[in-house]
Amino acid sequence: MTISNDTEFVHLAWQRDEKELADVGFAMGADPTGRIGRLFGVYDEGSGLNLRGTFIISPEGQLLNSEVNFYNMGRNIDELMRRFKANLYLARKPDEGCPSKWKDDGDATLRPGPEMVGRVHEALTEGQTA
Amino acid sequence: MDTPRPLGVSDMVPDFEINTYEPTKHAFGKFSLSEQKQNGRWSILFFYPADFTFV
Repeated sequence: MTISNDTEFVHLAWQRDEKELADVGFAMGADPTGRIGRLFGVYDEGSGLNLRGTFIISPEGQLLNSEVNFYNMGRNIDELMRRFKANLYLARKPDEGCPSKWKDDGDATLRPGPEMVGRVHEALTEGQTA
Repeated sequence: MDTPRPLGVSDMVPDFEINTYEPTKHAFGKFSLSEQKQNGRWSILFFYPADFTFV
């Protein structure tokens, strides 16, 4: 779901007007008072606007990722999807870790333990999938 | 609803509801975190300042 400080009525008008948004498949949330933005620490009291924050919440309601950019920097959707997929993977395999280059199921993961100490390079280059 | 400290990673997010526009249905709706949890669904919140700006 996307969230801005506009109302749902403005979302409708924007989505109808802007051709880039013709295929939007997600809900567009309205946070005109900044109530939800404050909860996540992205509401800027000075401007009355939400900063560009991205948050992933598990089905149990736990906040697992957070990223906040200033107004003038867009986000990389590939990186967001990488993190989302990693969350799905780790929910199934909680004793593994997804390193920075992990992209999708089947990529090398790390299993923290004594044999990993000082040997992360070997584990990554040997493509250990625990 | 207001919390003294914003949520941090690993915190449990308190249930909240928010009005939405649902482009796929051409209808207004509601997002409810408790409903998401009941349905075993993940949630991604993507905040941005204002409509009619770049994302």
